[in-house]
Amino acid sequence: MKHYELAINFYKQKGPRHDKALWAIRQKRDKAIKEVDEWEELREKASKIKDEVINNLQDYVKEFIKNAKKEGIELFFAKDAKEHNEIVFDLLKEINAKKVVKSKSMLTEECGLNEFLEKRGIEVIDTDLGERIVQLRGEKPSHIVLPAIHTTKEEVAEILGESNTDPTYLTHKMRELLRNEFLSADAGISGANFLVADKGWAVVCTNEGNADLGAVLPKLHIISVGVEKIVPSMRDLGVFLRMLARNATGQKITTYTSIFGRKENGKRVIVLVDNGRFERLNTEFKETLKCIRCSACLTTCPVFRRSGGHAYRYVIPGPIGSLLAPLNNKEEYSDLPFACTLCNSCEMVCPVKIPFSKQLVKMREYVTKDDFAFKFIETSLHSPFAFKLFSKIIRLTPKSILKKALNEWSKYKEFPTIPPKRFIDG
Amino acid sequence: MKIALHVPCYINELNPEIAKKTLLILRHFNLDVKVPKEQTCCGQPFINSGHPTTLPQKFNEVFKNYDYVVSPSSSCVSTIRSQTLEVSKKMFELCEFLHDVLKVKNIAKNYPKKIALHNSCHSLRHLFEGSPSELNIPYFNKIKEVLGCEIIEASRDECCGFGGVFSLKEGFISYVMGRNKLDDLLNKNPDVITGVDFSCLMHLESIAKKDGDNIEIKHISEILWECLDETL
Repeated sequence: MKHYELAINFYKQKGPRHDKALWAIRQKRDKAIKEVDEWEELREKASKIKDEVINNLQDYVKEFIKNAKKEGIELFFAKDAKEHNEIVFDLLKEINAKKVVKSKSMLTEECGLNEFLEKRGIEVIDTDLGERIVQLRGEKPSHIVLPAIHTTKEEVAEILGESNTDPTYLTHKMRELLRNEFLSADAGISGANFLVADKGWAVVCTNEGNADLGAVLPKLHIISVGVEKIVPSMRDLGVFLRMLARNATGQKITTYTSIFGRKENGKRVIVLVDNGRFERLNTEFKETLKCIRCSACLTTCPVFRRSGGHAYRYVIPGPIGSLLAPLNNKEEYSDLPFACTLCNSCEMVCPVKIPFSKQLVKMREYVTKDDFAFKFIETSLHSPFAFKLFSKIIRLTPKSILKKALNEWSKYKEFPTIPPKRFIDG
Repeated sequence: MKIALHVPCYINELNPEIAKKTLLILRHFNLDVKVPKEQTCCGQPFINSGHPTTLPQKFNEVFKNYDYVVSPSSSCVSTIRSQTLEVSKKMFELCEFLHDVLKVKNIAKNYPKKIALHNSCHSLRHLFEGSPSELNIPYFNKIKEVLGCEIIEASRDECCGFGGVFSLKEGFISYVMGRNKLDDLLNKNPDVITGVDFSCLMHLESIAKKDGDNIEIKHISEILWECLDETL
């Protein structure tokens, strides 16, 4: 099913609640960013830092690898999802791992790591509260920062076999269950929000401390991360840390902001993943590599708020997903760049100033096949005479036929009245 | 000052009165306004549906020799402004032109009805005729300044759901967004809903008609001309 069908189903079940919940977060975000007088300058700075990184990505990757090795971190470079999954599996096999605790990483979702490991007999426990909820429900996250925003407290109680639907009670229950998983896991896997090139450090931002437990308790900690997550220095990191949580959820900073270097009680490994990113540098969609996955474009998107994230069917939904998904599979996701009114709210909230409207329009062209009818009309419309002819034909066409031709409109709205005379009619 | 009136093709076809009112408003300020007969379409429907077009270049040929091109449609202005053509910097949305170039304000100061203004996305987040709520910049709204009376605005400055090709691909969500926008505005009891984009207004009106809402919806040029027309 395509976005428009899935959106109808979702909206009829949960749309108004979902829209209200996300708009409340958008308002918290607005309040939080308005506390920072220099917010707009920070966006400009962040955008420039990311431009610098993606324009010199190869150099920054080299610098990061060199410094991370110096730090005592083992480094791997995976050219695609398959190679990433194999590297992770080999690392786990080496220590005969049976159970892995994972904290949120959109990259491992992108690579399909959970399924890959489970097929090979390794149990993967997602430890972020929202991610664990969707994992137990057999679903995928519907939002990159609020993975279970599409679920209700009743649904959460149901999967935990509880009759008490109080969110605090359910959170404590989940905490108990997860604590046992942390203590019995053989390895921890996490993503990283940033990699600091001149230090060789990985930075992980969470609100639940789950990434920290996964990084510290087991002997092996694997960080799977996309190459574009690099920032040049700690000074640059400061710019992003001031923006990330404010823009995502309206918090000043995430509850836990952990910087990982050498692991004291075991081994830390970073798997740097390309998976099409270097190739994207040479396309007109290179600016999507600036994304820091703050999720503000999802939360603000008026279509996303009403359709829910699952209607996008891709690991990353919403405006940024509508740019990334067709690059992954043009045929499958050709509807996504059109699940958008070009309202430009995404561009306004973007902390790294990705030019969303321009990119979405380009993406529409990328997924659209040449169409003879369109070409014919386009050519004709260069002439006022041909335009007048079209206009005559439309005025002579019975309204019932026009209504049928524009069915998506007429199903829900009155058909506009066409006046007999035009203004310019020469 | 040589001025051209841009008549957006959808306005020419579906509501020619808006073009007439815009022309009357400009002439009211004693401007030399021409209406180039050879104009057709700026190319927006093709660009936004993913089809390559040279209509913006044709648009440039028609309008490039004027000092200003004034248009009663912020989405057409935005389409041309996002190109790098001679005409790109010369094109203005009507209220933008009144505010920035003619520096006229308070036209509707004594308007007898309660006006609700729909700040359309192209006006707000593409042309910056007002401050979008997403940004940390001081509040302003040029359209409200041009009107100069008490104005009702929606509590959310989000999209009304028209979106051109979007309304034909995702009719349901388009309807829901429009319904939400109408409810937001109607809750504040306006007499009339207006805006600078007839496309959004046509979408809202089509929903209001289907759902039986009793509300007058008209383009801003109609309100401005009502205030300026000395024969009334």
